[in-house]
Amino acid sequence: MAQDPLHVLWVEPNFPGRLGAVADWLVRRRGYRSWFYCHTADPRASWPQSVGSGLDVQIFGVGGVARESAVSWSRTLERSLCYSYGCWEVLEQRRPRPIDLIVGRSADLGSALFTPVYWPAAPVVNFLDYFYHAHRHDLAAEAPPETAPAYFHWRRSMVAINLLDLEQATLGWTPTHWQRDLFPAEYHDRFMVLHDGIDTRRFARSSWHASRCGPRLIAGRVIPDETRVVSFVARSLDRLRGFERFLTVANALLRARSDVLCVVVGDPIVRRGLDVDFHNRDYPAHLLARQSPADPDRLWFLGPVAPGVVAEVLAASDLHMAPSRPYPVARSVLEAMSAGCVVLASLTEPHREVVAPGQTGLLVDCQDPGTLARQALAVLADPAEYRPLGDAASALVRQHYAQDVCLPRLADKFTALAATNGEGP
Amino acid sequence: MNVLFIHDAFPAQFGRLGLELTRRNGWRCSFLVQSLSSCPTPSPEMLETLEVHRLPMAAEHRLSDGVPWPQIYGHFLEQCRTVHDALLAKPSLRPDLIVAHGGRGAPTLFLPEVVDCPIIIYCEYYFANSHRDISYRIDLPPAEPARFFPRCINAPTLATLVDCNAGYSATLWQKLSFPRRFQGKIEVHFDGIETELYHPGPAARQAGATAIPAGTRVVTFVSRGLESIRGFDLFMKVAQRIARARSDVIFVVAGGEEIHYGWDKLHTGSPSFKQWVLSQDSYDLTRFVFLGRVLPKQLADLLRISDLHIYLTAPFVLSWSVLDAMASGCVVLAADVPPVREVIEPGLNGLLEPLFDVERLTETALLVLDDPAEFAPLGLTARRTIEEKYCLDTCIPPLSDFFERVATRDAAR
Repeated sequence: MAQDPLHVLWVEPNFPGRLGAVADWLVRRRGYRSWFYCHTADPRASWPQSVGSGLDVQIFGVGGVARESAVSWSRTLERSLCYSYGCWEVLEQRRPRPIDLIVGRSADLGSALFTPVYWPAAPVVNFLDYFYHAHRHDLAAEAPPETAPAYFHWRRSMVAINLLDLEQATLGWTPTHWQRDLFPAEYHDRFMVLHDGIDTRRFARSSWHASRCGPRLIAGRVIPDETRVVSFVARSLDRLRGFERFLTVANALLRARSDVLCVVVGDPIVRRGLDVDFHNRDYPAHLLARQSPADPDRLWFLGPVAPGVVAEVLAASDLHMAPSRPYPVARSVLEAMSAGCVVLASLTEPHREVVAPGQTGLLVDCQDPGTLARQALAVLADPAEYRPLGDAASALVRQHYAQDVCLPRLADKFTALAATNGEGP
Repeated sequence: MNVLFIHDAFPAQFGRLGLELTRRNGWRCSFLVQSLSSCPTPSPEMLETLEVHRLPMAAEHRLSDGVPWPQIYGHFLEQCRTVHDALLAKPSLRPDLIVAHGGRGAPTLFLPEVVDCPIIIYCEYYFANSHRDISYRIDLPPAEPARFFPRCINAPTLATLVDCNAGYSATLWQKLSFPRRFQGKIEVHFDGIETELYHPGPAARQAGATAIPAGTRVVTFVSRGLESIRGFDLFMKVAQRIARARSDVIFVVAGGEEIHYGWDKLHTGSPSFKQWVLSQDSYDLTRFVFLGRVLPKQLADLLRISDLHIYLTAPFVLSWSVLDAMASGCVVLAADVPPVREVIEPGLNGLLEPLFDVERLTETALLVLDDPAEFAPLGLTARRTIEEKYCLDTCIPPLSDFFERVATRDAAR
């Protein structure tokens, strides 16, 4: 019999990862008892507040191929199984109980696959972000003809852990319909489409966006009212998120307007293996070696910063740019919308799902830098004209994507699932 | 039509099928295989009629036996790459349809990179977490990987199933082993038993080098490997009891000592499940003839002199041997499990008893051996069952139609 509040086992390769904030909310707001099993954890400064007060973090080790720094394309599932086995071993040692529900996220690495070996009675919810297609989406559609066949072999082989997770799961969970539709049609009815929620308190509509009244602060520096701030935020400054597109446009904006300040947030090292050319390399350094910034003093690189700094940047932004390739909508896009930014994003299916062009943001074909730059200049020339887009975006996020909207629905779903004892949604 | 069959071995599952499609339909059938089987070997007619291309498979990739379970998907991907490269190197093949088999996933994952024809997967089986196949024999000592293996072994199968145009299973039970969401993609088509080879009639009373006197009852047991999933240990227990009850019975066992499925090596600590079983009791081995693996002709001769064929499989893919036995007119005593129930209606074309009930199996076996003539009608009906539902002439036309339908339907897409 499920207990209320629930006892939930969360499993993800890294903490807090994607699920940490969800677990934290459910512990704080619904009284859940949670164990979060992970292989690595970010510094404690970025841990959510409920750790130690209902949310316990447990590290598990991995062995075999998972310990190698690079894994060949044919051994990716083997690596996932190492994560899953490592998690199971520590579960057997620590024996958390009772467990009403297991929530896992493989994030291409694996982890939760063997949790039912330890605790078979609980329903399993698997959070799934992405399903690879050999020649579509992210960077694949732009792969040049000389691309090694192994690249496409790798993409085709990456489906395995997702398919196993889906088969094991009582319920698949994904944030957007676009992401759901990436998966084979046979699985669509197995998904719950529900965003994991934006922290609309942290990313509240700023006073700058409400009334264009300062003061604006970014990383301790005051931004004058007459300065136009253009923001770009990504976990990694990579091609997937269109950083090279942004840099080209930023240079055009810096040349065209002396009042523009471009602020870039994100790790310069490319972390996603999807970009095989630049993986683990400093992509901005590569670009800047070939294309000097028009004015380095007005192009700020803040690096990977705490969420509070991201909130500062977005609160001060006059234009937020997201020229991403087709890939799941960046969390920062929704955070920017929540903060009331005018968002200029690439015209892609995932962006279409969250941005209504001309109403809650602007979508343009980013393959043409000229189009992107012209639209950006138009916004910067007359921020007041575009302000309604930012206001509507903020309202949209509060209504549909806020944690306080999404996570109560998630809690209801979890309660219903736990009551089924794993017999299906 | 130009069909390319992909399989580990030749002729195996597809050799005879390719020959029939060439003979009956005039199709061009090519084969991409790792190896030529030694048991059975390809017939001269097959080698003359069919195009057989060997894969340049590295030695370590030829067999999946011995690959640690976490590496099976990687092994499968290497096979996929080899098949991809082989097709890239043979543009003249230009198939209209690819039909691929793989017990642990057909190696077709990368083929859309090199061909644009439809792909049909032979959907042999989807492993369960528990209650069937290798997870069924919980009466044996537990094996550590058994908890993890079933949760990842289906990865190759799923990856190819998602991408293929259609699939087919030999029996309904095999089709139903797959997740329900894929069952609409899978048709049921049995491959076809060679009834001209397996048929009732007189045969030399000989089992290998052993002559069998007239009046001696012959009990047969056949399995590719003598292993727990096929109930070899249970058969030996039944045989032991029959032998004690009747002195006129000889037990002829055909099958190798290899273990193809499950954890018998781990259950027993012995490389041979057969040897482990024999070491567990004092069997009178003068009453047994172990033939090892036999050629189809030898098997057909053996089945013709069988008074009782015992088939004690766990719920798993139905063995061809039980259908061969039925085609030969044998009285079959089998385990009462769902895949067997699909072909045997107890009391009509065979006998079914609970798998683990050695006493009941023995009692039923003794009833047959007491009066074979009384039970002979079961064997005749079994033969009729095969003729009506499972022989080549019955199975090839709908299978051929299925291939043609998919090739036509999906070529246009």
